[in-house]
Amino acid sequence: MATPSIIPAGDFRTSYAADTTIFPTPMSRNAALAGIVLVCFAPLLLSEYWLSILIQIGIYGIAALGLNILVGFTGQISIGHAAFFLLGAFTSAYISNTLPIPVFFAIPLAGLLTALIGLVFGLPAARLKGLYLVIATLAAQYILLDFFSRAEWFSGGSVPAMAQPFSLFGYVLRGDRQYFYVVLAYVLASYLLVTNLMRTRDGRALVAVRDHYLSAEIMGINLTKYRTLSFGLAAFFAGIAGALYAHYQLVVSNEGFGIERSIIFLAMVIIGGTGSIMGTLMGTAFVVLLPESMEWLSAGLKGSAIDRALSLNNNLTFLREIAIGVIIILFLIFEPDGLAHRWRQIKTYWKLYPFSH
Amino acid sequence: MTMKSLLGTASLALVIAGFAAGAQAQIAIGHLADYSGGTSDVGTPYGQGVADTFAWVNKHGGVGGKQLAVDTNDYGYQVPRAIALYKKWSGGDKVAAIMGWGTADTEALTGFLANDKIPDMSGSYAAALTDPEGSSGKAKAAPYNFFYGPSYSDALRAELTWAAEDWKAKGKSGKPKFVHMGANHPYPNAPKAAGEAMAKELGFEVLPPLVFALAPGDYSAQCLSLKSAGANYAYLGNTAASNISVMKVCKTAGVDVQFMSNVWGMDENAAKTAGDAADGVIFPLRTAVGWGGDAPGMKTVQEISKISDPTGTVYRPVHYIAGVCSALYMKEALEWAAANGGATGENVAKGFYQKKDWVPAGMEGVCNPSTWTDKDHRGTLKVDLYRSRVSGPTDGDLNDLIKKGTVKLEKVKTIDLPRKAEWAGW
Repeated sequence: MATPSIIPAGDFRTSYAADTTIFPTPMSRNAALAGIVLVCFAPLLLSEYWLSILIQIGIYGIAALGLNILVGFTGQISIGHAAFFLLGAFTSAYISNTLPIPVFFAIPLAGLLTALIGLVFGLPAARLKGLYLVIATLAAQYILLDFFSRAEWFSGGSVPAMAQPFSLFGYVLRGDRQYFYVVLAYVLASYLLVTNLMRTRDGRALVAVRDHYLSAEIMGINLTKYRTLSFGLAAFFAGIAGALYAHYQLVVSNEGFGIERSIIFLAMVIIGGTGSIMGTLMGTAFVVLLPESMEWLSAGLKGSAIDRALSLNNNLTFLREIAIGVIIILFLIFEPDGLAHRWRQIKTYWKLYPFSH
Repeated sequence: MTMKSLLGTASLALVIAGFAAGAQAQIAIGHLADYSGGTSDVGTPYGQGVADTFAWVNKHGGVGGKQLAVDTNDYGYQVPRAIALYKKWSGGDKVAAIMGWGTADTEALTGFLANDKIPDMSGSYAAALTDPEGSSGKAKAAPYNFFYGPSYSDALRAELTWAAEDWKAKGKSGKPKFVHMGANHPYPNAPKAAGEAMAKELGFEVLPPLVFALAPGDYSAQCLSLKSAGANYAYLGNTAASNISVMKVCKTAGVDVQFMSNVWGMDENAAKTAGDAADGVIFPLRTAVGWGGDAPGMKTVQEISKISDPTGTVYRPVHYIAGVCSALYMKEALEWAAANGGATGENVAKGFYQKKDWVPAGMEGVCNPSTWTDKDHRGTLKVDLYRSRVSGPTDGDLNDLIKKGTVKLEKVKTIDLPRKAEWAGW
């Protein structure tokens, strides 16, 4: 992938530290910080509806980030990500309900436990590749979902499990306006963590495994270790996201987390850009906003000739699914590098404007 | 930004503000409907019935001079989506009431409803929703949950009572065998424990339950199990579409079993689709008559139906009429609340306690009399058992089939269950 550089001519690096900096220019660092500060004001300015969308983007963004480590950075594949998300949700609900552990600690604990299970289900990755690995992860999805629907002691079986609201040393956070900051904190921590991970020896090993596993092995990289590790990492973030989701919804049900949700996670990664950390967030935002925009569209067309011809209102649910499918196809054909690539191009364009040649 | 787009934005903001101001003079109601999920076969007519009724109420002046702002949403029978919608309805501009649907989502919402004081008239008749104080010890307190009709458990108790009599009347000896069938999902599971306990009490041998999904499919394996286990009475806990699959396959496999279905497990559409496989299924009917039945209230139902069908030719299955009844109970509770301190959730819930043997105005002879008290949300314990009769091929329009009597709902027995305290909540 040819990445157009936005660093002006003559600006070169003289140390490795400078080369691996997160923000290549002071401007980008300031913009990112200003963005975070701006987002902090969101609960004061936005309506509940928009806030809930931002929270969803945050939660799913963390899960998609985990999947991007696996798919984008390590070159593995998983269509069982939704099951790990749900495992994190149930685990955190279970821990905070049955043990004297507050939700504040239950969330990271759920992440760790999910990571452990993820390592176990990642073991086949040491031996399997491509289609075979897809089927192995599909099996993980089914095994876990079946477990949730039967293990009444853990997930309540077919009855949705209740989760406690987020509490911090006796202070209970209620409502989207307060919970928003919890999600924001986790999003920032997760994205920083992964960005830093990719700058370390282990992160580079993951990328080496993706780019050419044979060369990587010859260079002394333990393939089994890193492939399994990437599953563990993916499951960790899925678990964290699931736990955040549990304490946001306060109800965890195993509905809506079948294979289609796993595919949607994959769509977030593909649309955002495989192997791009910021792209993951963009892809998640895109996928979360897409069904909503279908709803606005159908509301806007209500009563019109198109609405009557297609009976949009009744078919809205199908329309959403169709839209996601179509968008994935379009992205794969026209923008295989995802939104992250498009974003870089836009930045370059303005950087060089009006002398783009 | 040019002047023009500035003006455009400003006027758009004005329009939005105008809408918001207009919305304040209304009573907001949330409506969860399943038009696309696992129970859409029966969720569609029920949801349509609810939506039509509120539109009809608005056409006739609304409630207490205020129009009802009904937010109908297809949530695809998925708990997370129901929760998300509930958050919308319980935040900022709180709704006065909710017309709910499924068992899983209604039970998940129970605690929130109690906290936020929003009454929910659900399409789920799970017995766990009938205990407003949680005093039975069988269920959590559900002070803001209501539904119209006998609970799933009570309907099954009535069916089993009938089955025990039927067994004797047929002069068969030995213990009849009963089996509970349905998806592993809160809705089919809701009456399982109650049904199996009642069956044991009545001298049935209870077989291990059989699982089949909430969607049409190939259920040959289940039918073969029924056959090999020698079940005599089988309860179908799912909705019509998947129940049909089971009945059809069992018919082909030659299984001799008496099916008894959940209230959502059978209707005229299902009988038409299943053809002779649906012949003889026992099911509870919530209304005193079906579509076009001879009752003074049927006129009102037909008028309401014209909201979405101006031609008046569409046949409305039993679930549509149940939707109309449920929505009209809600309307009258809202009316009481509006006249007694305003349509807040708390008042609306009190509105449900105001009448005994309550039939909504204009629905005489259609909706069965119901009584809700603050101690007991079992609106009725009277169960009308019907048998579906299919004689001959079921092609063609449902109106004609009913007129010709090819598809018939035939009354079998009315069972008045005692209001036992130990039957509350499960």
